[in-house]
Amino acid sequence: MAATTTPMLEVDDLRVRFATPAGTITAVDGVSLTLGERESIAIVGESGSGKSVFARTLINLLAGNGTRTGTIKIGGRDIDELSTAERKHFFGVQAAMVFQDPMTSLNPVKRIGAQLTEAMRYHLKMGKEEANDRAVGLLRQVHIPSPEKRMRQYPHELSGGMRQRVVIAMALACEPRLLIADEPTTALDVTVQKAILDLLDDLRAERNMSLILITHDLGVAEGRADRIGVMYAGRLMELATAKDLFADMRHPYTQALLRSIPSTDMASHTRLHPIPGRPPDLLNPPQGCAFAARCRHAQPECVDIKPNLLESSGDHWYACHFPVGTSEGRAALERNETAGVTAAGLPLDEAAEEFV
Amino acid sequence: MGRVVRRTGFAIILLLTVSALTFGAMNLLGDPLFNILGPAAADTTPAGVERIEAARAEYHLDDPLPVRYLRWLGDLVQGDLGVQFSSAGQPPVADLVVERLPRTAVLLVLAQLMATVIAIPWALLAAPRVDSWFDRLSTVSTFLVVALPNFALGVLLKYVFAIRLGWFPQTYTADAPLPDRFHQLLLPALTIALPAAAVYQRLLRDDLVSTLQEEFILMARSKGLSRARILFRHALRPSLFSFVTVFGLTTGALIGGSLVVENIFRIPGLGSAIVEAVVREDFPVVLAIVVVVASVFIVVNFVVDAVYAVIDPRIRR
Ligand SMILES: Nc1ncnc2c1ncn2[C@@H]1O[C@H](COP(=O)(O)OP(=O)(O)OP(=O)(O)O)[C@@H](O)[C@H]1O
Ligand SMILES: [Mg+2]
Repeated sequence: MAATTTPMLEVDDLRVRFATPAGTITAVDGVSLTLGERESIAIVGESGSGKSVFARTLINLLAGNGTRTGTIKIGGRDIDELSTAERKHFFGVQAAMVFQDPMTSLNPVKRIGAQLTEAMRYHLKMGKEEANDRAVGLLRQVHIPSPEKRMRQYPHELSGGMRQRVVIAMALACEPRLLIADEPTTALDVTVQKAILDLLDDLRAERNMSLILITHDLGVAEGRADRIGVMYAGRLMELATAKDLFADMRHPYTQALLRSIPSTDMASHTRLHPIPGRPPDLLNPPQGCAFAARCRHAQPECVDIKPNLLESSGDHWYACHFPVGTSEGRAALERNETAGVTAAGLPLDEAAEEFV
Repeated sequence: MGRVVRRTGFAIILLLTVSALTFGAMNLLGDPLFNILGPAAADTTPAGVERIEAARAEYHLDDPLPVRYLRWLGDLVQGDLGVQFSSAGQPPVADLVVERLPRTAVLLVLAQLMATVIAIPWALLAAPRVDSWFDRLSTVSTFLVVALPNFALGVLLKYVFAIRLGWFPQTYTADAPLPDRFHQLLLPALTIALPAAAVYQRLLRDDLVSTLQEEFILMARSKGLSRARILFRHALRPSLFSFVTVFGLTTGALIGGSLVVENIFRIPGLGSAIVEAVVREDFPVVLAIVVVVASVFIVVNFVVDAVYAVIDPRIRR
């Protein structure tokens, strides 16, 4: 991306807190991110790491009990400084979203056509005919057969994969420059997943969109995104180009995540290593690194001091005191292995690990 | 198609059961002879006995109950509702129904319309603001209106709007011009509508609250649509089920409930007719009204059933 163009998305120190009966939880904890035009980024993390909250916050979908701090700029426009008139036709036009479950994200009582044309008519003030024509074109673009017929159908008459294509077509209706896809294939059959991801890739290229692809699967991120951000307990732990991340991962969490999932180029007998323990309680977040309690590298420093996300070399960022692939990291791991336990009290017994 | 056949069969069974039970119940209450003849039914003089025998024969009172029921049913099918036992000259029951039914029908249609017009915006305002002061106040007032006995509400409304403010007449005048009679029915209709509206608001509000948590609402919001649009175009329709169901069920109950209101506002309607008839043990009148009420109930629920399919395409077949 050229340095002169305005980035598509700039997020600075984004924090999202939710008031719950049990107390306040911090679901997104100081995320900063820049996304260039036509760039794609994958946000990867375990369940509950705040990926969806992050994605939704970007498009102004904060739940009623949530509060946000930090700035979000889309296409150079700070979303808090939009005039009322601008705001009315901003979300859904500049940025749009695809949700996880196409079985629930379409209105069951409205025809596909009505749902597809709605945003065009509302934001772009299109007439019925024009919007209909364009909707048919969109359906064709997402490879839905006999689109005219689909327009008159209801969601329940379509398969899951078809519905997700409709959802994607809906998101594209007002030609957004930023598309946010929150686990768009998690709810679908494996056979359909690749087709949908390929479709998103093609559309991004055709339409010069920027894409944020949320996934819990590092394997999905690989080869699909220019950059990958690894999220844990609402924080970005590591952020790098996809190539760098896989070739030279720095954060022990990224490493643990990769070792915990099956991957296609892994020999079939390779043993998977689930990450021991559980993500931290967001009501009482740990003082130091959020991952310390589950980290094989953890040192006393990790328990006490929260590491910041820092840039090491050419656009590779990570938040770790004892990163993988550094002498400090190696030394920390060795110390823990000798002691048989980390500074956070995690036993490093291989046998024990298997039964976690 | 099979659906329509099934529903029609169900309606017929319902009508038969309701009328048979009413027929039986009325006969448990007392001897129809007294209604037909009045004090003369106790006349033991030979002339009296003769008259009694004649009446027994004319009205087939000596036949077993099922036979009498079937005879009544046969007449009903031919459009004959019988005569009013307890009125002088024993005029046809149909006359009474034709006179009374339209008033109650207009009253209830008005009431249901008002209740709906009140409940929908009320729920739409409350649902997106769960637990706000507005929502809480709504909850409290709905409970209040529902808990308040109908006659108390009617008397209150009558006192405030008819007696103090004078916006409405205090009672109904059967021979007033049509627009005036309509005007006279507004306050009684409101009396019936308010508790119904409160119930509808509760149901609709609760359903809306859960619909608003659906992902398709989030999707609609992500399209950048306005709040109002999302509420009206996306949330309302899938939230109408309980409301529509209870609307149908309430219609039956309201006919009974209208009686109190008819009394307060002196409307000679079906509600007061059935009370008078029960008190006087006038079998044919009670039966006729029960059949009318049951039929209305069945028709309304037929409509409700069709409305389901309009609301949700997944039910269409
Ligand atoms: N409205 C809310 N009120 C309270 N807590 C919330 C709310 N929305 C999300 N959370 C919490 O925020 C945390 C992050 O949730 P989020 O849905 O973003 O996770 P995720 O990374 O998308 O997980 P998944 O992979 O399961 O989708 C979770 O602990 C969740 O319970
Ligand atoms: Mg999620």
